Amino acid sequence: MQTKIKTILAIFILFVSASSCDNYLDLRPQDGIVRDEFWKTKEDIQAAVIGIYSSLLSSPPGVSDNFTMTEYLFMYGELRGGMLAEGLNVTEDQRDIMNSNIIASNEVTSWAAFYRTINYCNTVIDLAPAVKNEDPTLTDTQLKHFLSEALAIRAYLYFTLARTFKDVPLKLKATLSDAENFQIPTSTQSEIFTQVIKDLKLADEYAVENYGSAASNKGRITTYAINAMLADVYLWTEDYQGALDATKKLTDSGKFALIETSSSTWFNTVFAKGNSTESVFEFQYTTSNLGPFYNIFSLRPQFKGGALLMDQVFGIDSNNAENRDIRGDFASLISATGEIYKFTGLNNFEKKTLQEADTHWFVYRYADVLLMQAEALTRLGGQVNGQAALDIIADIRSKRRAISQTAKTITATATNKDDIIDYILAERARELAFEGKRWYDVLRVARANNYERKQLLIDLAVATAPVNQQQSIIAKIKDPNSHYLPINANELYTNKALVQNPFYK
Amino acid sequence: MKRLLRLPSLLRLTLVFLIALVFQNCSEQKIKESTDETLNITGYIRENPNYSMFLKILDLTNSASFMNTYGTYTLFLPTNDAVKQYLTDVGATSLSDVPLKDLQDIVKLHILDKKISTTEFTDGKIAVPSLYGQYLITGAANINGVSSATINKTSNVLTSNLVVGNGVIHVIDKVLRVADKTLAQTIEANPNLSLFTEVLKATGWYAKLNQPVTYDANNVGSHLTVLAQTNAVFEAAGLGTLDKIKTRYSKPIAPATTSDPTNAKDSLNLFVQYHVLPRLNYMADVVSSSVLETAAPLEVISSKLDGEKILLNHDIFNGVQEEGVKVVRNVSDVTCSNGVLHYVDGNFSIKKRNPMPVYFDLCDQPEFANDLVNYRKTTTSFRLGPVFNGITWTGNQTAAYGPIWKPTTGAFNGDLFDVFRFRDGSGGTTNFEFTTPVIIKGRYKIWVSYYYIDTKSSSSTKVYFDGVETSRIINARQKPNDADSDKVIESQGYKRYIFPFVSGDRLFSRLVGIVDVTTTGRHKIKFYSTSAGTGGSGDHVDMWDMVEFRPVDMDQIWPKFKKGFPSTITGSNLVQRADVKTDNGPN
Repeated sequence: MQTKIKTILAIFILFVSASSCDNYLDLRPQDGIVRDEFWKTKEDIQAAVIGIYSSLLSSPPGVSDNFTMTEYLFMYGELRGGMLAEGLNVTEDQRDIMNSNIIASNEVTSWAAFYRTINYCNTVIDLAPAVKNEDPTLTDTQLKHFLSEALAIRAYLYFTLARTFKDVPLKLKATLSDAENFQIPTSTQSEIFTQVIKDLKLADEYAVENYGSAASNKGRITTYAINAMLADVYLWTEDYQGALDATKKLTDSGKFALIETSSSTWFNTVFAKGNSTESVFEFQYTTSNLGPFYNIFSLRPQFKGGALLMDQVFGIDSNNAENRDIRGDFASLISATGEIYKFTGLNNFEKKTLQEADTHWFVYRYADVLLMQAEALTRLGGQVNGQAALDIIADIRSKRRAISQTAKTITATATNKDDIIDYILAERARELAFEGKRWYDVLRVARANNYERKQLLIDLAVATAPVNQQQSIIAKIKDPNSHYLPINANELYTNKALVQNPFYK
Repeated sequence: MKRLLRLPSLLRLTLVFLIALVFQNCSEQKIKESTDETLNITGYIRENPNYSMFLKILDLTNSASFMNTYGTYTLFLPTNDAVKQYLTDVGATSLSDVPLKDLQDIVKLHILDKKISTTEFTDGKIAVPSLYGQYLITGAANINGVSSATINKTSNVLTSNLVVGNGVIHVIDKVLRVADKTLAQTIEANPNLSLFTEVLKATGWYAKLNQPVTYDANNVGSHLTVLAQTNAVFEAAGLGTLDKIKTRYSKPIAPATTSDPTNAKDSLNLFVQYHVLPRLNYMADVVSSSVLETAAPLEVISSKLDGEKILLNHDIFNGVQEEGVKVVRNVSDVTCSNGVLHYVDGNFSIKKRNPMPVYFDLCDQPEFANDLVNYRKTTTSFRLGPVFNGITWTGNQTAAYGPIWKPTTGAFNGDLFDVFRFRDGSGGTTNFEFTTPVIIKGRYKIWVSYYYIDTKSSSSTKVYFDGVETSRIINARQKPNDADSDKVIESQGYKRYIFPFVSGDRLFSRLVGIVDVTTTGRHKIKFYSTSAGTGGSGDHVDMWDMVEFRPVDMDQIWPKFKKGFPSTITGSNLVQRADVKTDNGPN
């Protein structure tokens, strides 16, 4: 009996110990690849880089952000820009930002989506160089190309964060384990801008000029996209010569041009189809990966164009209805209903259907670069530069058939910089309506030269404020800290090293 | 013991195990009994030594336990420095030197019994009064480039929106003080208003402005608003002394009598009456309404926001722009125990008024507006029973049958007044009577805008103005032809009052008749459905947007109205003919 029990026990122990060698106790995930199995070949790097791009389009699987990156870019650039009105489905938090009624718990101020993609970029930048040891077919040039893409996207995201939140934490190393220090204090806006310029310059050294296909040339980072970004950053840091030089790399390349054709074809080519010669860098939504626009502008509209947008921005020729700015009605918006049309229209007559609403998000377009060049020229001063800027505006206006009601007659002199800048701002409102630029444009001009033109922001507030809050809003706007969003309450809770923007105390 | 040891091994093992189990059970297990560790207001203050002095005030006034009860409160919490400053101001060395009554008032003034976060702050008063009864006013100020929200103009908010279990706390850097001076005392205390004070005394208004607030049966206070003119303003108008003012304004009422400014019909008395507005009107209230009632019978002041300026009586009459007087915004909004004081920078007096249009949105009801969360903010409709001061109806009086605030994008102010089962039959409600805003005496056309539904809705709604039936009925099952121009449909007694109009829109305005308004003031308009009951599916088919009273000699079509919630609208909510350069649909 006893031997029998002992035998059974022995067999059992043997069974348990033997089977524990089996891989069912292995902790490796079954639905993913761990790091030491990845980063072996150049295809792995390519996959990681494409992953960065796709995180810009929509949240990665298993992650639920309140909004996609594109929506954040739209909201940060437009909510306070004075060109939007509330749609029926606007959330309270969105409305509060439009009315300068912002508190730290506002969900729109979450920057999680930005730092997630920044970490993807950091991972590529940190781990890709080591792949050279594993995969001899990876050439130096290829590696640099990949690095340039990751560096540029990271720079653009930090640039956007610094324009939106002012001081933000700067993390340049990949987060690879839980042991890392997540309690990072903020760096100042100017430190961020310096880092952004440094990254963009390095990215430009490594950059690709031509991927060989239109979709890749407009959908991935090229040297031109990098220089467009650089020009933008230089305008913010008031290095106008730098901005001018950067824009010249695009204007002198001969690869971009403003399309001159019928209104409907122009809209269809540039916006509905995308990747045109007018385009520099776009987020490539496809019919299998649709953008958020159809939902937020058409089906359940969160936003509409402001009521007087047609009158005040695009202008109306009351004598001749045919004489119209091709960027206005049925391009930026539908004037009768205020519906934002830029991202849902197919041409001047037809809207896309939900299934085919794949309009891209336009990060930089050539017209934007030209207007940045005009701004840089104007800021550099002098009669010649001023005239050159006015010529750029005139060229865009003639190609867009801007109507005489919105034209300004300015003769460039040594002293009328502000007039030309105002004209550029007005032209940017027409050209770049709803592309997430307006608030940044007004803020950039207002803050230049030590907030020389703060009045621009106050005028914007007076024009859009609800009457019973106007005075409070003006008083708030006078504080430069109020031009930036608060750090979200959740971030403050998890990262004790962060200090809230003093305006939102 | 030996016996115990002799037990079979299995039993011994069991015993050891049981003993172990018993000992383990004896150790105290910690069970978390609370589900929520969020502190309540008093708890929060107790935790934080920065507010120990206010805590002492709460303890002294026995309010500490009250502020720890469940509820939704807002507390404006002064720091210790603020309380110390308060002690210096009142000349006390410690809190126990301050009379208990004063401390109780102070505590009540710092508490609201609704949760108000800074996103609710406007340029005027907070919608709910403090527990003391006085309203607190909010705003924002920029000091040396740094902006912060302010309470009662002087206290800066240091930390805002601290959410605690029973409400929200805003930390302030100065104790809020109860306004203990009446309007009359406040005016007299200001040397710049000495002439205005003399005028008040000469007309007997000083005593009236010195009365404490009383509350009527509906709990409406007798607050007043005074628009004061400084000596400099009188001087500039050539009225530098009381005698000059008397000579200018005070005239004998009947021949062969001497002038008597204390008589309510004396024009100097009327001059003062015209500077007094019934009820509390802070700046934000002044800009929010276009016509302000005054204490002078049948006389009103118009108000207009031009950029940042508030202009009173800045109107166009017969094509002539009459220059208005400006309200001095930075020194106005002075809270007094019985009202609020504003300053104007020009001399103004009663004007002979011509009829002015009144656009009465039926949803402009304070009872609706009490729903801070939804009213003109969200797409959630809600219903109220017979709680309205300005609306009565017959038929079912339960809350389940009351009128509904119905958000509608296409409507003026983004809402419609939705009547549940508008019919004479059983279970219905009818005879809706509304109190209108102030209408200046004159001859008006009345336009009622309704939502067109071609079945079930009331096909014959009679309209009564001050009890007299108007010449036309409203048939909500009919509408004008979309293709016809504005002029054509006007001749048929309809108009499209919303701009832009899109073919297929369902909101139209019906001309119900012409009335003579004999007195300037509030009037009654009533809707009576003679349609029979139409069954359950006829529940939500009658909806009205607004009633327009337009003087007969005015353009009846323009201005039109913008659609959507007021917060979505920039600038004026009217669209003038001249502003519209496009033709949106037929005109």
